[in-house]
Amino acid sequence: MNTILVVAEHRRGEVRPVTLELITAAQQLKTAADDRVLLAIMGQEAESLASQLQWAGVDEIIACKTRSAEFEPELAEQAVSALIVSRKPIAVLLPHSVDSLGYATAVAVKGGYGYATDVFKLAYDGGALVATRGGYNQKVNVEVDFPGHACAVMTIRGGAFKPVETAAAPLLTVDDRSDLSARSRPLEFIEQGGGGDIDITTVEFIMSIGRGIGEEANVEDFRELADNIDATLCCSRPIADAGWLPKSRQVGQSGKVVSACKLYVAMGISGSIQHMAGMKHVSTIVAVNTDPGASIFTIAKYGIVADIFEIQDELQAQLA
Amino acid sequence: MSPQRFLSKSESQVPMTAQALVAHVLESGDFYAAVAVHGIADARQRQRLEERLFGSRRDVLMLARWEHTPANVLDALSRLEHMPLARRVVKHRNTGGSTLKHQFSQSDDPALTGLLALHANTPAPLLLQIAMGDHDQVVLKGLARNPSAQPEVLRLLAQRFPRRFDKEIASHTAVPADLLGTLYHRGDKFVRAAVLAHKQVPEAVLLQAAKSTDTLILRALVKHPLLPAALVDALSQHKDNAIRAALATRTDLPVHLSARLALDESDSVRRAVACRADLSPALMQMLAEDHDPWVRQWLGRNAMAGKHVLQKLALDIHEDVRRAVARNPNCPITLLEKLASDHRSWVRAAVAYQPNVTSCLMASLARDSAVDVLSGVAANPHTAPALLKRLVFSEELDVRRGVILNPAAGPDILLPLLQDPYYLHRVMLASGPKLSDQDKWQLRDDPDPRVRFALFQWLAARALRPVADRYFYRRKA
Repeated sequence: MNTILVVAEHRRGEVRPVTLELITAAQQLKTAADDRVLLAIMGQEAESLASQLQWAGVDEIIACKTRSAEFEPELAEQAVSALIVSRKPIAVLLPHSVDSLGYATAVAVKGGYGYATDVFKLAYDGGALVATRGGYNQKVNVEVDFPGHACAVMTIRGGAFKPVETAAAPLLTVDDRSDLSARSRPLEFIEQGGGGDIDITTVEFIMSIGRGIGEEANVEDFRELADNIDATLCCSRPIADAGWLPKSRQVGQSGKVVSACKLYVAMGISGSIQHMAGMKHVSTIVAVNTDPGASIFTIAKYGIVADIFEIQDELQAQLA
Repeated sequence: MSPQRFLSKSESQVPMTAQALVAHVLESGDFYAAVAVHGIADARQRQRLEERLFGSRRDVLMLARWEHTPANVLDALSRLEHMPLARRVVKHRNTGGSTLKHQFSQSDDPALTGLLALHANTPAPLLLQIAMGDHDQVVLKGLARNPSAQPEVLRLLAQRFPRRFDKEIASHTAVPADLLGTLYHRGDKFVRAAVLAHKQVPEAVLLQAAKSTDTLILRALVKHPLLPAALVDALSQHKDNAIRAALATRTDLPVHLSARLALDESDSVRRAVACRADLSPALMQMLAEDHDPWVRQWLGRNAMAGKHVLQKLALDIHEDVRRAVARNPNCPITLLEKLASDHRSWVRAAVAYQPNVTSCLMASLARDSAVDVLSGVAANPHTAPALLKRLVFSEELDVRRGVILNPAAGPDILLPLLQDPYYLHRVMLASGPKLSDQDKWQLRDDPDPRVRFALFQWLAARALRPVADRYFYRRKA
């Protein structure tokens, strides 16, 4: 019987959706009927947060009570290390997030476990666990195995696994770790400033506009279109620099990587290397540009050589 | 940044002539600077530059696909006999017409012809030659879409392959009016809609289309400036929302029809009405209370919206509506002052980017902590120089970039940004006109090749300018 340990992530009393993706990933690692998926949640309110984790595919929820209400890397490191020792999982799955990167490496190194980050595929090869991650700036896929390690700690890329959708009532165990102490404590949380109306790294459907938009009034036309089709409107750097969309909507090297995006409609974006750094991994990219030689077409699954305003107009007419 | 070097006097001065600039680059051996100055080198210098640029296969392949490679370097690449670069060179958007012509004469590769048919710089005679002789449907379809295709090319394609490329030809800006008529008469409804959307569509075709009952045709027709007046009235009651919405955008719409459409059941129609410049105060007041936030938003942006309407919308529950008011070019300063303390940063940011604000208001916004607001303050020409000098040292790179983009920021403010850790900011300064060449010269050994390329590209362009202009430029800087 193998055990797979999933560590849930939460913020401000809400379990983060990526946790549901980790449950699916863990299910894929089950090879026998008696393999077990354990889902650990840490924090002062772990027991009440566990009510948000009633999902199929989880055999046991471990409410790991610590002194801190919010994420605390040192407490997380100690709690997860203790769980690995007591539950002996073959794999520990964590979200590939800022929180996890604050302690996952320490857990792996101190425990002598295997370690891989930003994993987007999990499989067995002749009984050996193999994790796939990107390499050389996502230009190649790298398969990583963990010979000689009884346990592998892995951070899982957001959006790589479908979130679990079926509810269930797994067994709940409380693990009191309130004796753990950290050398530091958070004083306050500061929200990311500036039109942080939406976190574009978590959305799945993005329509993005670039220099081809021309003027600010046209931005509003595309905002209206994006609203009508339930897309999130993002942009390339010149649009955010002009103050036409918030900086938080900027995709690319000086903006954000839209890691959870599955459909990206690039309107009037030529496809500079800097912009593509934020979206080229998206599985379905639709590019609309009047220039058939635009770089964006080299990574697009569907390309439309056309005026973006014609397309916008036609879509609005269809939706009217 | 690169470690400081000991500079001799000659090294610390910007080379003032093309020859001296190229000589400096040859001495430094900088690959990216060599790409930038290739176009201004004399024959002997150019040969030496090419020895540096084309010395390795890896460099040659990189240059053939690098987006910044200039036309003269691409031309030199196309003449390298030992490298199969034709496709890459022809695919490159910077490749010039003479290079493309040369490639066409040297190759019988069908894929190359396809790329030439698509390229915006392919000379007109070459496009005509392809239109006359080629039979490949993909190549010809690309040709029909090429924005550089001349009317003769389009006419020839329409003759050789009736109906095959009619949709592409009908959408082309260069299609002659008489050909549009032909396309309309033989086309399906999609071709006809494309013809009607064309600026050159003949009046006779419009009159014929007016008899159509097809929604697609009418949607295209309703946008045309020469739409018959009788049809305007009839279409205002058409069942298709998109037709009525398009009608509401027409500048020649009679006032009574605007009023009728302002009461339309479709949100999209009322949204279009809210943008109109000829709305009466009563209609504006009515639309200001519309249940659809987008109607109120468009009204908030309407430059003709009165003070009372804007005051009402400035209190709207939706932040996008309040932002629209803050972006309105005629928003009164008193209202801007109120919106500058809105609880949503995106509304305050709209004020920060407003060209009508006072320096006093900018000073108050400069105390904000939101990056969008501070970026607006940094980019606004009304911001006091003292504030800009402070923002240059902001921890937020977007704010520092705002200062670079500020048209009023002079060299004294921008100079510290030559040391900015973000390469793009140094690229912007190297390729912009605000700093003197002498100031920029400190970037010649920048660790980022894109910065060095931008600098030498700027200096190479300057070297081509007349001496009097250069002198003026230095004085101005």
